[in-house]
Amino acid sequence: MATPSATQPIVHLSNVDKDYQLGAVTVTALRQVSLEIAPGEFTVIAGPSGSGKTTLLNLIGCVDVATRGEVVVAGRDTGKLSEGDLTRLRLNALGFIFQSFNLVGVLDAFQNVEFPLLLQKQLNAVQRKERVMDLLQRVGIAEYAHHRPGELSGGQRQRVAIARALVTRPRIVLADEPTANLDSVTGNQILDLMQELNREGTTFLFSTHDPKVVSRAGRVIRLVDGRIQAEESVEQFQSSHA
Amino acid sequence: MFTLLQIAARNLARNRKRTLLLGGAISVVTVLLVLLTALFNGTQASMLRNATTLSTGHVNVAGFYKITSGTAAPVVTEYKKLREIVEKETPEIQSLVVRGRGFGKLVSDVSSQVAVVSGIDIQQEAGFKNILEIVKGDSSRLVEPHSILIFEQTADRLELKIGDNVTISSQTFRGAANSIDCKVVAIAKPLGMFSSFFAYVPLDTLRELYSLDPSTAGGIQLYLKDWEKADQVATKLRTSLAKAGYRVMDHTEKPYWQKFDIVKREDWTGQKIDVTTWMDEDPFMKWTLFGFRALIVIVFMVLLAIIIIGVMNTLWMAIRERTREVGALRAIGMQRHTVLAMFVTEGALLAIISSTVGVVLGVAAAYGLNAAHLKMIKGFQMVLMSETVTLIVSPPTVLVSLLVIASVTTLGSILPAWRAARLQPVEAMHSSN
Ligand SMILES: Nc1ncnc2c1ncn2[C@@H]1O[C@H](COP(=O)(O)OP(=O)(O)O)[C@@H](O)[C@H]1O
Ligand SMILES: [Mg+2]
Repeated sequence: MATPSATQPIVHLSNVDKDYQLGAVTVTALRQVSLEIAPGEFTVIAGPSGSGKTTLLNLIGCVDVATRGEVVVAGRDTGKLSEGDLTRLRLNALGFIFQSFNLVGVLDAFQNVEFPLLLQKQLNAVQRKERVMDLLQRVGIAEYAHHRPGELSGGQRQRVAIARALVTRPRIVLADEPTANLDSVTGNQILDLMQELNREGTTFLFSTHDPKVVSRAGRVIRLVDGRIQAEESVEQFQSSHA
Repeated sequence: MFTLLQIAARNLARNRKRTLLLGGAISVVTVLLVLLTALFNGTQASMLRNATTLSTGHVNVAGFYKITSGTAAPVVTEYKKLREIVEKETPEIQSLVVRGRGFGKLVSDVSSQVAVVSGIDIQQEAGFKNILEIVKGDSSRLVEPHSILIFEQTADRLELKIGDNVTISSQTFRGAANSIDCKVVAIAKPLGMFSSFFAYVPLDTLRELYSLDPSTAGGIQLYLKDWEKADQVATKLRTSLAKAGYRVMDHTEKPYWQKFDIVKREDWTGQKIDVTTWMDEDPFMKWTLFGFRALIVIVFMVLLAIIIIGVMNTLWMAIRERTREVGALRAIGMQRHTVLAMFVTEGALLAIISSTVGVVLGVAAAYGLNAAHLKMIKGFQMVLMSETVTLIVSPPTVLVSLLVIASVTTLGSILPAWRAARLQPVEAMHSSN
């Protein structure tokens, strides 16, 4: 695993609060969150349901903005960006893996993976094909390139989603409970794949409430009631859940 | 982006039932529009053909002559000079005829009826040869003095056969009663609901009835190369005739026989020229066509509104079903305008395909109906002045129909698509669908 100290962090949060307004009631989903993610990390956000994992990932993923505090992603202060700029930042700097895969139903695996490249409009058809096929190979579903999501199993779909997240070579891949909709064997395979890809250089930040998944991480950020309770090493975490 | 088109096409294909239902509705509306506009064109053509044979040119140069201020004769004096000027000033003319204008009572041994009696020179009248269907007798015999052509309705009512005599009685424009006997030389098949009120005699015979000089005529009927230029030509002629020294009447949208009373009351004597168009001379046709066109417009406003609502509804459903997908696409970096484009493409694709199918079916149906020579229902026969259904498919009209339907339908997809584009990725991803 790469050492974070040498390079600029990809994600930097300082004193971030996130409030949700539910009618007259204000729900504070995140309080005073500060953290940094460095290139090469394989970090998990752990915590029980409702602790604010998704909210935190949304802020880092530039699909939501903080109520207070500063969120800097890939060197840009997201609070100061327009909707269009945020979208561009997501396209070019971030990769997303969703709990329920969220592939385009009418496109086959190849086209789903190719889609972000089409949005980027930088590579020509030949380059795109090469990049996509390499990735499909890498995630082990090259033979299903021309199957639509409906014809694939959950594990296969999540592999397609991983390939789609990686295809633009993002600075960081964000995954909100990527294994929650998979059985444990398949979930493990997906984590194996993510870990391999991390070793090859991709930075991952993912969330889970599953202690077994936490144990696979390089770094654990524990959230309780919207606060970072502790930064633990994996060893500490494992001993506390033994 | 080709992929957007592909996504649109595949989503339409995936929701086959919904697509077929709405696409079918769009096609049906297109077929209707094509058929109705073709029926309108056909009706207009046949009405215009009938009217311009019976009673008017595309443009008419006629007028009134007042011997004293209290009288009014539908007469132009020195018509040959007038005709020369008109011919010189109007390159748009295809052909013209000189006619006499009269009105009288046709009296046979058994019955009588009133009729518009026109004086014609049968050798000039191409329309009579081409358009009138002579069922008995021979229209070329109208060169004979004191001959008359009537329509079947009149022949039946007055029990007249070829060779029978009919008396035309009228009043000269000085007020004296006068009558002449004419021999029926031709009986024509009816041409629309009004043809029974028309009868034709040689121009000289009409002059005789009214004690008119050979230098007079009722008016000159102009047939243009392009009848749609009638208004333009009429306006131009009013100016150039005024310049040539004629007193020209102001344009009034009325047939000449409705102008007698007005002209009688006016305080002038001598000649005035009146330039009119077929629309002025045949208000019935004008209002029928206007009503028909208004009907088409209203029917299509309603149908288009229904289609727009259908498209919006369908797209709402599509968007609701794909909210998660939209959220995910927005999250991975699809801009709002691309989301908009994605759904509008879907609406547009449906609109273009269905309306094109509709046009093809509509045009085919129009040719089919023409080939079938369908007889019109009696009531319509009267109104539309034609016995069989004649549809004229005009490519520009069809093209306009296609464009209107396709673009209006596409417009209907913009609002839902815009709403989809406004979805926040977070909300969209968390939607329960
Ligand atoms: N859109 C929202 N509106 C109101 N409250 C929300 C919204 N999203 C999350 N919350 C609240 O914020 C807290 C954190 O939620 P979330 O980030 O989804 O937690 P987790 O992903 O760890 O389960 C919870 O109390 C949740 O009810
Ligand atoms: Mg969550």
